[in-house]
Amino acid sequence: MPDITVRSVSKTFGHERALNDISFSVRDKEFLTLLGPSGCGKTTTLMSIAGFQRPDQGMISCGDRTFFDRAGKVYLAAEDRNLGMVFQSYAIWPHLTVFGNVAFPLRIRRMKKGAIRRRVLETLELVEMAGYAERYPHELSGGQQQRVALARALVYAPAVLLLDEPFSNLDAKLRERARTWLKHLQTELGLTTLFVTHDQDEALSLSDRIVVMDSGSVLQVGTPEDIYHRPATRFVAEFLGGCNILAARAVTVATSGATELVLHANGKPITLSGVCLAAGEELQLAVRPEAVELTSHESAMGDNIFQAEVRSISFLGDHYLYELDIDGLALTVTDARSHAGPVVTVRIPPSACRVLPS
Amino acid sequence: MRRLVPETPLQAAIWVLVLVCVLAPVLPLVYASVQSKPIYAAGRVFTLAAYQQLFADPAFRTAAVNTLEFAAMTTACSVVLGASFAVLCSRTDVLGRRAYSVLLIAPIVLPPLGVILGWNSLYGPGGYAHDFITQTLHLPFNLASVPGMAVLGTAVAVPVVFLVCRATLSGIDSALENSARSVGASPLRVLGRVTVPMLRPALLNSGLLVFTLSIESLGIPLVLGSPQGHDLISSYLYNTWSSAFTPDPPVVSAGATLLLACACALLLLRSRLLGDQARFVSIGGRAAAAGQVQLGTFLRFILGGVLGLYLVATTIAPIAALALSSVVSELTPLIAPWHLLTLANWRTIGQGQFAHTIQNTVEIALVGGIATAMVAALATAIAHRSGFRMRRSLPFLLLFPRAIPGIIIGIGFFWTFLLVNPPGSSLRNSIWGIALALSIRSLTLAYFVMSAAFATVGEPLDNAARSAGANWWTTMTRVIFPILRPALFASFILLFISILNDYDPALFLVTPGHEIMGVTMLDAAQQGTNGPVAALAMVQVAITIVAIAACARLFASRISGHQHA
Repeated sequence: MPDITVRSVSKTFGHERALNDISFSVRDKEFLTLLGPSGCGKTTTLMSIAGFQRPDQGMISCGDRTFFDRAGKVYLAAEDRNLGMVFQSYAIWPHLTVFGNVAFPLRIRRMKKGAIRRRVLETLELVEMAGYAERYPHELSGGQQQRVALARALVYAPAVLLLDEPFSNLDAKLRERARTWLKHLQTELGLTTLFVTHDQDEALSLSDRIVVMDSGSVLQVGTPEDIYHRPATRFVAEFLGGCNILAARAVTVATSGATELVLHANGKPITLSGVCLAAGEELQLAVRPEAVELTSHESAMGDNIFQAEVRSISFLGDHYLYELDIDGLALTVTDARSHAGPVVTVRIPPSACRVLPS
Repeated sequence: MRRLVPETPLQAAIWVLVLVCVLAPVLPLVYASVQSKPIYAAGRVFTLAAYQQLFADPAFRTAAVNTLEFAAMTTACSVVLGASFAVLCSRTDVLGRRAYSVLLIAPIVLPPLGVILGWNSLYGPGGYAHDFITQTLHLPFNLASVPGMAVLGTAVAVPVVFLVCRATLSGIDSALENSARSVGASPLRVLGRVTVPMLRPALLNSGLLVFTLSIESLGIPLVLGSPQGHDLISSYLYNTWSSAFTPDPPVVSAGATLLLACACALLLLRSRLLGDQARFVSIGGRAAAAGQVQLGTFLRFILGGVLGLYLVATTIAPIAALALSSVVSELTPLIAPWHLLTLANWRTIGQGQFAHTIQNTVEIALVGGIATAMVAALATAIAHRSGFRMRRSLPFLLLFPRAIPGIIIGIGFFWTFLLVNPPGSSLRNSIWGIALALSIRSLTLAYFVMSAAFATVGEPLDNAARSAGANWWTTMTRVIFPILRPALFASFILLFISILNDYDPALFLVTPGHEIMGVTMLDAAQQGTNGPVAALAMVQVAITIVAIAACARLFASRISGHQHA
């Protein structure tokens, strides 16, 4: 399967800039996710690749075929792009059976009847829907409809699979199962896949790489681990999982690499390691709630130890969520253990602090 | 750009077809109105004399005043009645509200000429009800006077107002009313302070619509007022046209152009006003069970009875009178009808010219209905689901025929067929010229149905077909139209009924041997042959009911078949 290249694509709706010089590429056999809040431009990007939106600027290509090139005046119609697409609403045609839906792309391609039958049943087998060929869409559950939509997108062996929030209409349990199943199928068939979602869990668990978008721009591209542990901006840090953002100022820069900072909220010192900062520099620290260590004892030793007042505790099944207060600094922390008492001891490991560009 | 819209030739062809058809009746008409002689005559010059002549004619001025009076009375009465009925049926527990919700709309599909003739035989001079009203109740009532015609005009217009108001009421989020209840307002107070104020845009909308329809209505003045000297502009124009010394006088074109300008201005005003108001009408849009005002046993029965009486007086009795006069030699309060029973009327219409006219009408309605439904479906698809460059102009073109009064389509096509030949003369000398005029008049109706239907089919459904490799034409014919089959059928049935029962444009286009039912009925009614006319009207009613029943059945089976969807 070929790769998709999106280069310097921009799109304006009226006065609103929906896409702002977007560039990224989907590599062969890769599972790439466009992640962002609603209105960030991820669906516009997908629709531009699929051929349902026409960008104002830039270039989109798939392998050696150019889909869109403003400069070369190329615009390939959606039906000529040979992409497989699964829509958020599935878009299963209600007047056709499951078989009819899946066979449609093959009939468009004028395949022989017997070949169509064989290929459709094969594909339905693949998505575990072989027993439902003669059913009508309204007789299927949401999860089954989704599989039919996937079968319809795969049946003609398209160059690339495009998925537009395919799990958003499923309930939580089913969504998790569908996720595992899709990842398995994608790896097994070696499908080049472009996936759009606003759900960070989906993005983290499925993707080989993630493109984080906001307000029509690409903020960061990287592997799930990369993006989670080394967010490039405050937005990325906050959008993927909870995150404490602490404003601070660098005070002294030690030669060993340990840097002393002062937290703005309460004037307390905090130490970082492995960063290069100038004295007096203003910055923000991103600290994941689960990276903070909690203990009920006051005997903890080392850097960055604070006494915190417990404002609230919520029980969330496999962990507890604490809202803490360190002399005016609000901090959200998760921990597997329950810590009673109005005061707890908090340690923020220097390695858990990620410096964000201000 | 390469292959932006690969289907451009087909889409362009449909666009040109719609453009030509919609403008065909208008441009030659306007041209004819500023010429000194009919446009086929030699030695014409540009002049505004026709307009001067029109305004100098006292008969025209009287007709204009009458038209305004008629339209104003019709609008005021029908808005009050229609809105009250809508509030009663959708917000109170009035007796029989469900049945009335359907029955009050039913007159919309009845043949308008049949309704007029039925009223005339019941409330006209010498009718049963006329004698009862004038002699027993001692009310001065003359159906042929302007106020008398406005009574009938109101009865015809009430369903329109009712339909618009009821749709608005069911679109109002019931949370708006419930929240007023929760802060302590009584149901009646909610009705007066929340519900009815929310109806204001609907009242404006339907009022303007009724006013526009009233100033162009031709059948009512032609059958009722004109014989007694009470002309409206439309009947004045028709009479001037058909009785002029020199045929086809420019003055009629001038009058028609004025009428067209008025209708267009009114509809433009309407869309302007609604453009602002529509925003606050369509909040929520959930038709959840709205709170009902409990009327109490007494009021429930009284108001239910009033609604029933209204229906009997305006619809059921006139149609019954029509049915009765089709099987008697004469309908008169002086002799009991069972002494005059006869099948002669039905035998008369079963042969000769009458049978021929029925056949013509059904042919026109079938062919015109199918062709118009197809054109409207394709045009709507281009307007709403294509990348065709000129697609945004299509909704305006498709809505425009709504603004053209029927007689203007008639006069306009008369000129067009004379000017554009071929195919003008072969269209004029067959039933297909009339078919074309009637079809274009109904085009807007089909567009309403189809655009609503397209709105229910999500765009991902055609995007899915496109991404599977289907081009625009395949997507439409293999995916979207099959999904919309019920709407296509409904649009065909509506067009069939509309064309079947229409006659205004045909009055100006008819040539010997190519009559349609409406024209034949008007001619025969003016000659006083009431029996066969009533029988013809009953044929229209019967065909209409059968068509609607077929449509309703189809929908019932669709709904039960897809209830799990």
